[in-house]
Amino acid sequence: MPENRSYNDELNFLDKIDAHTWRIKKGFVPNMKVDGFFYVNDLLEKLMFDELRQHSRAAGFGGFLPAMKQIANVAALPGIVKKSVGLPDVHAGYGFAIGNLAAFDMSNPEAVVSPGGVGFDINCGVRLLRTNLDERDVQPVKDELAQAMFDHIPVGVGSKGVIPMGARDLEEALEMGVDWSLREGYAWAEDKEHCEEYGRMLNADQSAVGSKAKKRGLPQLGTLGAGNHYAEIQVVDEIFDDYASRRMGIDHKGQVVVMIHSGSRGFGHQVATDALVAMEKAMKRDKVLTNDRQLACARISSPEGQEYLKGMACAANFAWVNRSSMTFLSRQAFAKVFNTTPDDLDMQLIYDVSHNIAKMEEHIVDGKQTTLLVHRKGSTRAFPPHHPLIPVDYQLSGQPVLIGGTMGTCSYVLTGTEKGMEQTFGTTCHGAGRAWSRAKSRRNLDYQEVLDRLAEKGISIRVASPKLVMEEAPESYKNVTDVVNTCHAVGISKKAIKLRPIAVIKG
Amino acid sequence: MAASREVCEKVEDIAPLPPRSDQRRDRTAGFVIVGGGIAGVTCAEQLSALSPDDPVTLLSASPLIKSVTNFRQVGRALEEFDVEEKTTGALQKACPNVRVVHTQVRAADTDKHEVYTEDGETFPYTKLCICTGGQPKLITKDNPYVIGIRDTETVQHFQQKMANARRVVIVGNGGIALELVYEIEGCEVIWAIKDDSIGNTFFDRGAAEFFLPHLTAGKCEENKPLKRLKYTVTESSSDSPKKGDTAMGGALGPDWKDGWRMKGKHDQAAHRVQVEYQCEVQEVLTREEFTRTGQTAECFPGTSRAEEQNDDWPVYVLLTNKRLYGCDFVVSATGVVPSTGPFLHNDQFSVAPDGGLRVDDHMHTSVPDVYAAGDVCTASWEPAPQWFQMRLWSQARQMGSYAAKCMVADRDGEDIDMDFCFELFAHVTKFFNYKIVLLGRYNAQGLGKDYELLLRCTKGLEYVKVVLQAGRMQGAVLIGDTDLEETFENLIVNGMDLSPYGEDLLDPNIDIEDYFD
Repeated sequence: MPENRSYNDELNFLDKIDAHTWRIKKGFVPNMKVDGFFYVNDLLEKLMFDELRQHSRAAGFGGFLPAMKQIANVAALPGIVKKSVGLPDVHAGYGFAIGNLAAFDMSNPEAVVSPGGVGFDINCGVRLLRTNLDERDVQPVKDELAQAMFDHIPVGVGSKGVIPMGARDLEEALEMGVDWSLREGYAWAEDKEHCEEYGRMLNADQSAVGSKAKKRGLPQLGTLGAGNHYAEIQVVDEIFDDYASRRMGIDHKGQVVVMIHSGSRGFGHQVATDALVAMEKAMKRDKVLTNDRQLACARISSPEGQEYLKGMACAANFAWVNRSSMTFLSRQAFAKVFNTTPDDLDMQLIYDVSHNIAKMEEHIVDGKQTTLLVHRKGSTRAFPPHHPLIPVDYQLSGQPVLIGGTMGTCSYVLTGTEKGMEQTFGTTCHGAGRAWSRAKSRRNLDYQEVLDRLAEKGISIRVASPKLVMEEAPESYKNVTDVVNTCHAVGISKKAIKLRPIAVIKG
Repeated sequence: MAASREVCEKVEDIAPLPPRSDQRRDRTAGFVIVGGGIAGVTCAEQLSALSPDDPVTLLSASPLIKSVTNFRQVGRALEEFDVEEKTTGALQKACPNVRVVHTQVRAADTDKHEVYTEDGETFPYTKLCICTGGQPKLITKDNPYVIGIRDTETVQHFQQKMANARRVVIVGNGGIALELVYEIEGCEVIWAIKDDSIGNTFFDRGAAEFFLPHLTAGKCEENKPLKRLKYTVTESSSDSPKKGDTAMGGALGPDWKDGWRMKGKHDQAAHRVQVEYQCEVQEVLTREEFTRTGQTAECFPGTSRAEEQNDDWPVYVLLTNKRLYGCDFVVSATGVVPSTGPFLHNDQFSVAPDGGLRVDDHMHTSVPDVYAAGDVCTASWEPAPQWFQMRLWSQARQMGSYAAKCMVADRDGEDIDMDFCFELFAHVTKFFNYKIVLLGRYNAQGLGKDYELLLRCTKGLEYVKVVLQAGRMQGAVLIGDTDLEETFENLIVNGMDLSPYGEDLLDPNIDIEDYFD
């Protein structure tokens, strides 16, 4: 790979198509089958280019490639159709960048599936529950409510689920998804309707999942986790689209909702890790070449490809059962504090979206209906009005898209559009994107004493320091509003509701 | 059926036994657990959940540890789940097949499968689980001025003494010592540790350096919701049996210091801490003994002799570094020894060098049908590469729960996989008001010299240390709100090759938790 190309030479491969859209032309990296595209506003654009400039100067650092290179490397994967897309929240990820979307033609025998295009936390996603409460009802009991949520939902590393589960329960849950939760009494029948895929991927086959993944998943079911997983009690801050909001049961500012952000946790990690190992071998056998070793992949039709898709479906189902369990526990917590039933609080599921998943879908490619395997990593399906796969309630408004901001900042509800269907395989952003800030860049300036104390003969100590110093970056750059507005401006999704948190539950 | 996990508050709460003729004399053999600490109570709850129709008897010499928050057993069907929190209630009410008996165990005959108590009763068992915990190692025995802190009852004792204290000497470098040093206010603290850095059990010298400024800094109180299971001790009932010397209360759970006031006599809330490194207590002297030595006691550093109100301390401590301090009392927090007392009479048990009962990967001791869990046992199976035993409340809970599963599986002749929690050492705690997460071989335990460290540190904000061997993450110390614990837990368990990233793995500008999402 020509790593030594100058920044100015790199720019020859980049075209600004319109105010928000850039094209990465073939040749930016070797073997590109299609062009790459990415969507930005002025701030996000500067970030993308700074990152590329840094990369050209330093000939890359660590294992981290700039997002543009990652998008282009994906465009070089066998069987990709139309384009490799970077959404406005695109940033460094394993293999595929977070916020990179790509579709592969199922009818092409060369076409691949790549675990790096799905992510480790398979079916990490967000769901939103509404209530009929107002901020005024919740403020006085906010702390009590947060404590009740903490008491009900196990959080943090090493926490253990409270919903009793044996190995056999887990195997059933892996194949049944939300149907398992429904059967066991943890979910409402209406919940199912408002999940992608009705909360159950039918090709799940628990026998395709290794025993380590199952052992790892068993204690984590019904747990929130830590890191960027959280539950938030939020209130409606602004309504942009009155009609779409009403379809979702949101009718006024100040209405209280609950957002739950979690996924398949260690289970998904193990499924992905096992698949990466198996695929590296299969690539040698099938002579599949990629630009980046992290883009390990297998032909969709190969045993490894099929095995991964079945295991991934199990992990997706695991994540739905996980979010269903936490929905149940949240409903119980609210019911306890308000001394009523979740029913009377109208705690309906507005919608549940996946951020990390690959799905078989029908799309129009060159005027022809084609079955594609759409990899959505750090991106959200956003189907337009009248699409057959979205629930009856949203047939006229378009599919709700839930965008969790960085914890503690605001979140959004968007809806899918026809333009998104044409341009991005019915896909939009998933969150706040990268978190670069001057505050972070300034970190780690005073470690000498610590280092002196740690020093021991023969032990190498390497100190991390920020390499990408953003001279002009504002204090905090992780801004979900920039991302959402860019998607809105491009037209791949439409703003409906803005939410702001009043209490955060996290590990 | 409400399945609350609360444990009996008072002996009076014990539910009447099912009306069967003369049941009190003729006890059906079943599961018997000895010890009412975290391991024992967790074991009882788990047995009740797994085997609801078999009798479970919990023998405890002390008040039970009670889980306060309503982490409840959720039934298989919605209507079985009662979310109403019971303010009072018994373990027996929640787990109807569990009977709690307040008594002191005297001995056991493992051939006959019987346990004998001090008050002359006999409890037959089919499977027995020993959860008798540990006892604090005391630097001196029977000295009224030396108290050991390890369990909830001794904290009460400590608190009484604290109210009038001007100066205390704390000995030990473990978790409880760390928390005490930070929590004590309005009182001078001499802290004697045998290591060359504070908190040696939990972190390395680098992290100790990170914490040092906080030893003397003021505290800011925060009132946040508790994220963890909280334990408190239930009220001692007036008619609980008199305890022998060997019976201790349950070990302290997390957040034990919450709600305990640890303020000494001085009005100012300032921290005044003097750390004496690399020394141990040579001698504890009474006032008379001190006078006879003719030595002068050290002043608190930074205090002049004139300011030292008087030399009239009830007790004096001579350290191995030859310094001599007077104080109101000495806290011995130098760890625990397994409390195996009543079970070692006839040498049947295989005992590890640390004094714990050896258990295999089924938590089974060397004696048929006898299991052990928590501080009393020593894990003697071949551990997973990133797991090791440490006598912590979190491991007591995990062991108690797993022992119950094994007891049921063994009885039913079923196979059982080891719980996944034994794959990776993970402990979350809080010191000096910072969140501390310890993962895997966080101190490169057992890795020899063949490893490297990655480090990121910002004074007063965060400390991140990663231990790598052959490009694979083996462990990590995370201090502060790093949000990295889930990602690192996953990277360790995945065994992923991280060598391409080098130190950039910790670059603050890379959202590594997103990268591996």
